[in-house]
Amino acid sequence: MTAIGAAAPRSDADTKVRGTATYGVDVSLPGMIHGAIMRSPVARGRIRRIDTSKAESMPGVWAVITAADAPSHRTGLKIRDERMFATDLISFEGEPIAAVAAESRELARRAVAAIEVDIDEAQPVVDMDFALTDDSPLVHPEWDSYETVGDDFPRGGNVCAEMSSDPEGVAEVFAIADHIIEDEYRSQRQYQAYLEPKGAVAIYEGGRYTVHIAHQYPFRVRDRLAEVLGISSSDVRIVGHHIGGGFGAKLDVSLEPYAALLARATGRPVKIVYERSEDLITCQSREDAIFRVRSAIASDGRILGREIDVLINSGAAGTDGPYLASIAFILAGAPYRVGPTRVRCRSVYTNTAPTGAYRGVSGTHVIFALERHTDHIAQTLDVDRREFRLKNLITDGHTLLNGQVLPDAGIFAQAFDAVEEKAPWAERAREPYTGVGIAATVWLTNPQPGSVILKLNEDGRLGVITGATENGSGAVAMGVTQIAAEELRISPDQVVVTMPDTDTSPYDAGSQGSRTTHVVGRAVGKAASELRQKIYEIAATMLEAAVEDLELVDGGVAVKGSPGSKLTLSKIATQATAQGESLTATGAHATPQPRFDPTCASGLLFPTFPTPTYHVHLAEVRVDPVTGNVEVLRYVVAQEVGTVVNPLGIEGQVQGGVAQGLGYALWENLTIGEDGRYQQRNLESYRLPLATDVPRVETIILEHPDEGGPYGAKGVAEPPIVPVAAAIANAVSDAVGAPIDTIPITPQAVLEALSRSGR
Amino acid sequence: MQLTLNVNGHTRTLDANPAATLLDVLRDELGLIGTKEGCVEGECGACTVLVDGRPVDSCIFPAHAVGTRELTTIEGVGTVDATPLQQAMIKAGAIQCGFCTPGFVMTLTALLDENPSPDEATIRRSLVGNICRCTGYSQIVDAVLECSGGER
Repeated sequence: MTAIGAAAPRSDADTKVRGTATYGVDVSLPGMIHGAIMRSPVARGRIRRIDTSKAESMPGVWAVITAADAPSHRTGLKIRDERMFATDLISFEGEPIAAVAAESRELARRAVAAIEVDIDEAQPVVDMDFALTDDSPLVHPEWDSYETVGDDFPRGGNVCAEMSSDPEGVAEVFAIADHIIEDEYRSQRQYQAYLEPKGAVAIYEGGRYTVHIAHQYPFRVRDRLAEVLGISSSDVRIVGHHIGGGFGAKLDVSLEPYAALLARATGRPVKIVYERSEDLITCQSREDAIFRVRSAIASDGRILGREIDVLINSGAAGTDGPYLASIAFILAGAPYRVGPTRVRCRSVYTNTAPTGAYRGVSGTHVIFALERHTDHIAQTLDVDRREFRLKNLITDGHTLLNGQVLPDAGIFAQAFDAVEEKAPWAERAREPYTGVGIAATVWLTNPQPGSVILKLNEDGRLGVITGATENGSGAVAMGVTQIAAEELRISPDQVVVTMPDTDTSPYDAGSQGSRTTHVVGRAVGKAASELRQKIYEIAATMLEAAVEDLELVDGGVAVKGSPGSKLTLSKIATQATAQGESLTATGAHATPQPRFDPTCASGLLFPTFPTPTYHVHLAEVRVDPVTGNVEVLRYVVAQEVGTVVNPLGIEGQVQGGVAQGLGYALWENLTIGEDGRYQQRNLESYRLPLATDVPRVETIILEHPDEGGPYGAKGVAEPPIVPVAAAIANAVSDAVGAPIDTIPITPQAVLEALSRSGR
Repeated sequence: MQLTLNVNGHTRTLDANPAATLLDVLRDELGLIGTKEGCVEGECGACTVLVDGRPVDSCIFPAHAVGTRELTTIEGVGTVDATPLQQAMIKAGAIQCGFCTPGFVMTLTALLDENPSPDEATIRRSLVGNICRCTGYSQIVDAVLECSGGER
């Protein structure tokens, strides 16, 4: 029996399919009242007057709070530039101004509407290029006084963070280049659009706050809520519930401080659940970006060197931006050999809603730009686009621009071969208005720490106590569960993983960057070796045998070579409890940072890609010359995963990640007007992929077990979204006979491209 | 205003605001929280329930408009043993975060009641009122094909 590689049903499947799973928004407590947040309707301005008296006098309204009732210090993930409530200067639409608690959700919203605010409106800073000119007002006039978390980094004015690398030899290779190819790529904001809106229920009791949420990273909420309220982290308890999707948007504190302060102000549990439009506006979407690149190319097909300048729109707060500014630099060194490459990426403040983490952080637009540019180079040289890639493909031992060595980068060649076998490039039918595109990327497995307590229960089932969260990917309900089962040679349905509770769970860095199966799985492995030893010690006495002569067999322990001697785990656990021994063990793990060159760049806050994985995607499309619509005829993914823990789970991550990538490439678009406000306000105007839009992805899984385990598994869930826009844009450009360098690829853009190419 | 509903075979009488949506009555008054609120604009389908066997978005459906018709929610499907559809969804990996799942179960239950052997295109068309952000839909379609004996 082995649990690794089994298509076992996820542990939460039955409760989810029957609708009995309780999510964050389902939490309801005795005496609970409801909160709502009053937000700025304008993107930039100065508050002249706030009058909450009408709202306060409404029957059933328990509390109205504003900046006067809340901490005024600024906080943030990397730069402390956010406040709970605006006091004078408004810097984005949706910035909180007041919060209300009332008997019902409806009444809380009516009370919010009754708050009077006079704002002197000003012209917002919307355009990133303009924000960097001397003519632009500063989004944060006091930027210089803001503290950073940890060491300071290059920043100033409307540049929230700047990553730059300027190696020797760039000017020299441009001087000898046969071709200099220059492009500009633009990409939009993307809303994570999880189906469960953000929500929280807060209780204030005995000087401590308990907050019930559905969150990817409960320990970060604990710490950030404490930071926002100016209290100690042990004064906060975060209780996790089933998560209705997150995709990066549920990684930081958001509405929890408002629910917490309202709970303290009223002495009642307070629940806040966002309406869809409020969720969309405050989601901290994927950032929009402008990617400018110039390559020095030799006529024999080598990329001699490159200059890359990227602007990513942070909106009115830093959030993850200072970290994300490093991604372009790391990705610029793979999957093709490039010479000396100068990279600058600036995260820019604008008077727009803050952006943040979304699956495939920054990688989606970086790979879109780099792989479109790769096609452009191949076409300029008049060589086949796939052949050009293979000629320049990196191999085992390749060094990235940050100095990190990829010992197994040769997996790229296998992935290209695997795609070729399934969908041969040369034999592709070239019907009119069809096209094919290919794109590749390396991606990481997030290395941050995770830990578990294993506990053998008296019925022989294994408890896993952890702060790790199941965001839907299956990383806990399949990954951690199956790894724990394998460690004790039991069936996955004999493993019970707890929901996170920061009072009782050991630390976990959240469901992000495909880290849970890998990092928490390794923590399970460490705990399990300690637990097995304790189990053997109890069993040794019971069996009158030596510890080293024992082995785990199906659901029990037996003397090696004597299966008839088997004692069930239940008997052993019951005996241990009776004699006052605890069959528990702890394990913790964090992946060490790979070696890199710290002098390679400045502002490199996200320096490496630990536990890398390799990905090649191919797309075949047809464009409609009348409507401009794009139909995806075929989509092939070759993905390297380390070891398959659950094939159903991996399949689901690939199908779902590609679907989100298709949305990003073709339909999903958060646009911002000159007034700094989002022009899409709900799921009617924000167009998500439907069952009739997305094809069945053809998935090829490549296994190259990671030496460090667990059982060789690496991160899986995040990367399938990363190369999709690139593959699709290359395919559409091929179909229309003209370059498509902006996403999403709208029908209008397709028709314009067709008229440019004369097809 | 008094409201009588026939929910999952039980008659329930309560007092409800004339403007109350069916979703609010189900979740807040009857405690049937398996039906989810995703958008309150009839776009996402997480709130899908069956009225006389037909799927409706309960978030924009007035509770008083149900009348004497039979109402089925996720709590009324697979009460003892999971239905073949639900079992097929578990087996096919059709569930990830699960927040949309009750709505999909309702829509697909109605589909299979009307047409026990739909082909893939029919299945996909029936799902245009249900958004799933996690799965990319393919494993959900697989689950229905498993029930209908259809081919991919």
